[in-house]
Amino acid sequence: MSELLSWWAVAPWQTGQGGYFWALLMGFLVTASCGLVGNYLLVRRLSLMGDTISHSILPGLVLAFLWTGRRTSWVMFVGAVIAALVTVFLVDLIQKGSRIKQDAAMSVVFTVLFALGVLLVSIFAHQVDLDQDCVLYGEIAFVPLETLISVGGVSIGPPSVVRMGIVFLFTLVSVVLFNKELLLSSFDPGLSTSSGYSAQKIHLGLMAMVAIIVVSAFESVGAILVVAMLIFPGATASLITDRLNYIHVLTIIQSALSTLGGMYLALWLDTSIAASMVVVSMCLFALVWFFNPSYGLISTLVNRGVSKDKTLETE
Amino acid sequence: MLLTTCFIGGCTKSGPASNTTQKKQKGPIIVTSTTTMLTDLVKIVGGSQVRVQGLMGPGVDPHLYKASSKDLFKLKLADVIFYSGLTLEGKLQAVLETYKKTKKHVYAVTDAIPRTLLIKAGEGHDGTYDPHIWFDASLWARCVDSVIYGLSKVDPKHADDFKRRGADFKKELETLHSWVLESVQPIPAKKRILVTSHDAFGYFGRAYGFQVIGLQGLSTVDQAGLLDVTKLVDFIKEQKVKAIFVETSVNAKALKQISASAGVAIGGELFSDAMGLPGEIDDDGNDKGTYIGMMKYNVLSIVKGLK
Repeated sequence: MSELLSWWAVAPWQTGQGGYFWALLMGFLVTASCGLVGNYLLVRRLSLMGDTISHSILPGLVLAFLWTGRRTSWVMFVGAVIAALVTVFLVDLIQKGSRIKQDAAMSVVFTVLFALGVLLVSIFAHQVDLDQDCVLYGEIAFVPLETLISVGGVSIGPPSVVRMGIVFLFTLVSVVLFNKELLLSSFDPGLSTSSGYSAQKIHLGLMAMVAIIVVSAFESVGAILVVAMLIFPGATASLITDRLNYIHVLTIIQSALSTLGGMYLALWLDTSIAASMVVVSMCLFALVWFFNPSYGLISTLVNRGVSKDKTLETE
Repeated sequence: MLLTTCFIGGCTKSGPASNTTQKKQKGPIIVTSTTTMLTDLVKIVGGSQVRVQGLMGPGVDPHLYKASSKDLFKLKLADVIFYSGLTLEGKLQAVLETYKKTKKHVYAVTDAIPRTLLIKAGEGHDGTYDPHIWFDASLWARCVDSVIYGLSKVDPKHADDFKRRGADFKKELETLHSWVLESVQPIPAKKRILVTSHDAFGYFGRAYGFQVIGLQGLSTVDQAGLLDVTKLVDFIKEQKVKAIFVETSVNAKALKQISASAGVAIGGELFSDAMGLPGEIDDDGNDKGTYIGMMKYNVLSIVKGLK
């Protein structure tokens, strides 16, 4: 039995002398950064912004390539960030300037920009292999292969992890510093603006942050993890509590759990790490949804049954 | 109980896989290669002195390759890594290029080919070449040298074996090259038009005298325009092309539509960016999971269709 236990719990982590530390850390940094900004997207009904950006960066990549004639990482990264910023501002423009709601505005922007990218590829670059998958998206499994960078003789980690670490700290600090402003503008834009915090400016600032975080995360781990993690941690946490600050804390916990669990699943089944993390995240969501005592599916069903009985009794 | 059996099943399944990634002090050197063509090449040159693990399985389009968790160890614990290069592997190539800095023995086999022999992809873009070099057997033969070099660096004791096997295989590739040239003879020069799903056969066309037309460009997001389709249909009718060809790793739908509207037959399925399963034998006795078998299968299909 103890042998079985060590198989389950210990063996996967020892595969190949446990070289997964950096991948794990990267997973956590990405899921936590995405989760934190995702919480605001959830409130603003912009959860699919990750998916939107993943498509709309194509013209940015093509133009960056046509401009420089190169497909090196940083050129593609800059192109993608600019396209992502254009995306979030266009979505905002359409949403505010027309009768169209957020979801439709996102769909309009990403399909048009993606289509524009396809046109650009077929007109100018159809002899070059150019798409998000082959020039931008990173793979979390290969993070440990990077050369560690060192500062003052002390090696601090692979470049992509360090970069994502900076993004995470930036996100965390922004969320803590502008907690009040973000909270107020998310729930009551009118009051926020009249209290001197322009809801529009805060919104645009937040969206610019989302654009940068999302593209950095794409560069490090690919699309699926990012798109999912903008939504899952916040969605799971909001099943438990209504208070945004608690949601943030639960988001961090959810990120850590899905990173660990996802890595375990991926090692065990020898599958994609990013996809496994998303699957585990979904399992956490389902668990909370079913079993959480206050709003859970089961307790709701039970309560409904109880109240029915009570009505019967009083009758 | 069910859960336990599941776990045991999982463990026993992962057992052999983890064994292959364990580094051994003695015995064969461990090689990791990317595409199926390359895995085949390393197996032939390395013989029993190497153990090869390919990252991409049969039928996997290198553009669509997704890493699984243990691929990291296939790379990390390998004594030597070979990849094709010329951006065939996309982002993975960038990963391997950085990995070269810490791990000495990482080689792009296409580095052995003089750049003047490569087909430039697009005008004016520096350093962008068509990566599908393996469809010219004489170019693929040049890649053998990269493999011999890489293996000998890691295992100098067996350098002579690698050299001998490499030389033998190069001879086989020469034979294959002239076999292809001969086999396409029955097709009249005017009829040598190869229409396929995407631009994978540029080198094949140049080496063996075919005009090659790919419906899609090199990129996977590039889609056929309406004009392309109409033009292609007109062209096929005008030139009285007898057959067009779909590819195993590319969606065949668009090409089937063209076949219907131009009234031209589908001449069969060609292998382009990946080979078949090793041991999968076609009617002519060619193993579609080996480079030579795959080439012969492709050529015979083309000849059958266009003759």
